[in-house]
Amino acid sequence: MNSMRGNVDDRLDALLQAYRDACPTPEPSANFMPNLWQRIESRQSFTFSFQRMANAFVTAAVALSIVLGVYMSIPRSNPSSYSQSYLEALADANTVDTPDYVAPVRLELSDPGR
Amino acid sequence: MLVDFELIKRAQKGDSAAFNEIVLAYRKRILGTIARLIARPEDVEDVAQEVFLRLYFSLDQLRTAEVFEPWLHRLTVNAAYDYLRKQRRRQEFRMSDLSEQQVMLADAAAGGKVEHEEQYRKKIRESVQSLLGAVSEADRILLMLKEVEGLSLKELEKVYKVNENALKVRLFRARQRVLKAYGSAEAREGTGQSR
Repeated sequence: MNSMRGNVDDRLDALLQAYRDACPTPEPSANFMPNLWQRIESRQSFTFSFQRMANAFVTAAVALSIVLGVYMSIPRSNPSSYSQSYLEALADANTVDTPDYVAPVRLELSDPGR
Repeated sequence: MLVDFELIKRAQKGDSAAFNEIVLAYRKRILGTIARLIARPEDVEDVAQEVFLRLYFSLDQLRTAEVFEPWLHRLTVNAAYDYLRKQRRRQEFRMSDLSEQQVMLADAAAGGKVEHEEQYRKKIRESVQSLLGAVSEADRILLMLKEVEGLSLKELEKVYKVNENALKVRLFRARQRVLKAYGSAEAREGTGQSR
């Protein structure tokens, strides 16, 4: 069994060796270097334009953040709207002088003896 | 090493002539390795260009001269692996491509244009490619680098950055699968011949 296995191993080795010989190293074509540089340049231009886009995006984001920061830090032009607290506003709306909607009931009891 | 580290340093600084010299020095070796890894002569040059393209854009990461060749080997392995994976995805297309090739081959053979030697080589290539179908693309490349390219375990360790024992285990398993496929193919052939 082992010798059979050994034979298969050897035959596989021989086949792989034959494969090596059956795959000769190809000669590079005359266009190898020009095509390579063309690919390098097209990759570079893509990377460059992507970088430019990314830079523009980052610049726009920073500018927007600064504008928003400045806007948030400026005090509001109409300060009266928040000059009172909620409780103060509520108290103002319900002063003692404000007439009650439900007036006290006055009972006039007639004297039955009269 | 086929080039000086000084040349690599010049290429790292953007010297195109230095990069050209590196490509010219390693081009043939890379083409040969890729030819054996992918076994599709028409695509070998394209994959080799991809290797050098990746080299160009990652050259600035290289720090020492000793790692240059294992690193170039790794780029070659990765490019071949990507190619083989894409090819698997395009299998349907390949099938029709193959049948067209077979028709052309048959036509040429009928016209007596194809030499016997080339037919034999083609048969060997096809047999090995078919056997390698028994393992994954990654194991196929590993097996090829060891068995066909003749890289030592130490060299493979540098290429894969994996320890020797892990590589031995992967190689052993891959070889066992290929052996099994080879045994089955031989048995089928034997049965076919006996009929």
